[in-house]
Amino acid sequence: MKVADLVISRRDDWRELEQLCQAIERRKTRRKLSGEQLARFAALYRSACADLALADSYQLPPTTIRYLHELVGRAHNQLYRSRAFNFRAWKQELLVNIPRRLFHDRALWLAFAVFWGFFFGSMYLASDLSPLPGFKEQAVGEEMLQSMEQMYDEPIAQRGREADFDSAMFGFYVQHNTGIGLRCFAMGLLLGVGGLFATIYNAVALGTVFGHMTTVPQADNFFDFVTAHGPFELTAIVLSAAAGMRLGFSLVSTGGLSRGESLLKASREAMPTMGVAIVLFAGAGLIEGFLSPSAAPYALKALVAATSTTLLLLYFVVLGYIQQ
Amino acid sequence: MSDQTRQLDTRVRFVAPENIAFEHRLAGPFSRLPAYLIDLLIRVALMFAMMFVASLIGFAVRSGGAVFMLIMLCWFVLEWFYGGLFETFWNGQTPGKRMFGLRVISVDGRPISAMQAILRNVLRAVDQQPAFAFPGLPVYSFQLGLFVAACNRRFQRLGDLAAGTIVIAERRERMAEIVLFEDPVVQAVAQRLPATFVVPQSLSRALAKYVERRPNFGPARRREISGRLGTVLCDLLNLPRKTDHDALLCALYGRAFVAKNRSSEPPRPVQMASAVESSAAEPVA
Repeated sequence: MKVADLVISRRDDWRELEQLCQAIERRKTRRKLSGEQLARFAALYRSACADLALADSYQLPPTTIRYLHELVGRAHNQLYRSRAFNFRAWKQELLVNIPRRLFHDRALWLAFAVFWGFFFGSMYLASDLSPLPGFKEQAVGEEMLQSMEQMYDEPIAQRGREADFDSAMFGFYVQHNTGIGLRCFAMGLLLGVGGLFATIYNAVALGTVFGHMTTVPQADNFFDFVTAHGPFELTAIVLSAAAGMRLGFSLVSTGGLSRGESLLKASREAMPTMGVAIVLFAGAGLIEGFLSPSAAPYALKALVAATSTTLLLLYFVVLGYIQQ
Repeated sequence: MSDQTRQLDTRVRFVAPENIAFEHRLAGPFSRLPAYLIDLLIRVALMFAMMFVASLIGFAVRSGGAVFMLIMLCWFVLEWFYGGLFETFWNGQTPGKRMFGLRVISVDGRPISAMQAILRNVLRAVDQQPAFAFPGLPVYSFQLGLFVAACNRRFQRLGDLAAGTIVIAERRERMAEIVLFEDPVVQAVAQRLPATFVVPQSLSRALAKYVERRPNFGPARRREISGRLGTVLCDLLNLPRKTDHDALLCALYGRAFVAKNRSSEPPRPVQMASAVESSAAEPVA
């Protein structure tokens, strides 16, 4: 058969496939397609595939071949569409895989050690026992310390923050703190160094403020505020830093894979960890927005802190360990 | 599955589950930039719209805190998940990408999953470094992303590498018609072509390319381009030297793709060199 005849005989099919692609690409028109039309789409796609496979032996002109490549690719991208969220797989991931992976993740242990090491180190250096008297002013600056003191001038219970303001602060905490966590995570990709830097930076800043607040009269107010949400928030920061470092280290120590493959593998594992961190940030935001600034007795806040610490230990240590 | 060994330029080949290889064209950093800017604009516009809606709600429930909370949460979602959510639900496209015909797919040619979409968008925070402080706002220079994209064959920035994704440009190609030449000059040349001459495959490919581009050339340019092949072909086909070379190529194109008188068996390629020799040996009738 001549090429021109062949093209003419197949042309209508290609056109129809093109039109079906167009209909499927828009959500509105996609809904209206009948089952028959969808089956027809698949059949037309397969026949276009066959045409493309035989294009060379049919001696089709290059322009037609290019058109076929484009058409097959377009139909392929509609036939195999993006997979949205699979919640059942998430449950398995959340309760079994993540704790196990994290428990054995040396990046997490490192992030944990680095964060708490620098946190307590700077807390010590910023407190009254400090061998370096000028440390805290150099670490975070005089202004920061003064503004912290001002913030906690009044006892939490008497501050009379309206409930209105609490919800506002909840929004701020989620946006601000989770942003810090996600940035910590992303920076980890810089061979792990960026993540280490972000972790140390946050640990030193937080530790210094904590240390400084023990030396001033506002100490009670300060700890009244930070106790309840501390465990979730600090754990979330450590988690995101660890997930980021996992990405960065995977580029350095590949375990026999190519660097690209190693990064892919690490990022598949780091994503769920990041998800857990975001949930923790949101939980911390809730507590920080509504419970921490409330007039509730300190015992309640301490109880919340103890409960959340227990939950975290249960999740990471117990769930992580029993899976061995 | 992608077949990286065969990638020479910006076309990548994939093998579909139907066991057919097809090609996609990669989108480079500078075709992705406009799409990014459009998305940035949309994000800012959405942010302002949300501020407006939030303040209306605030008036309705008489609470300034709720307004602030809504705005902050929207800011958070738009900043970190705008791209990821769109790419999940719009099959690898954001509004900007759709406008410029771009799409994100997995390196193996399949569509991306929700996790890949979100990861590659969160990791943009690294790719857009270093940032410069502009009065009030940080301005991201994307130098790191550009550098990494320049270092691999598929223009993947760090986020793409980690998520295993590539960005492709989907062109809407119009189906090329087979051209029919009604021109009497071409018809006349076609009449004089030897009936036994079968156009070899490589020649027919070249002819198709020439005819495709021919409408864009002026007469002088057509003469120049068709000249080289035309002189050789005139000798080969025993045509007079003064034959219009452009018309000759068009006639051969007709022979290759349109003419009825070709046998249906697979064409036997003509050995150019030996054919020239034999035609030289036989005197022209």
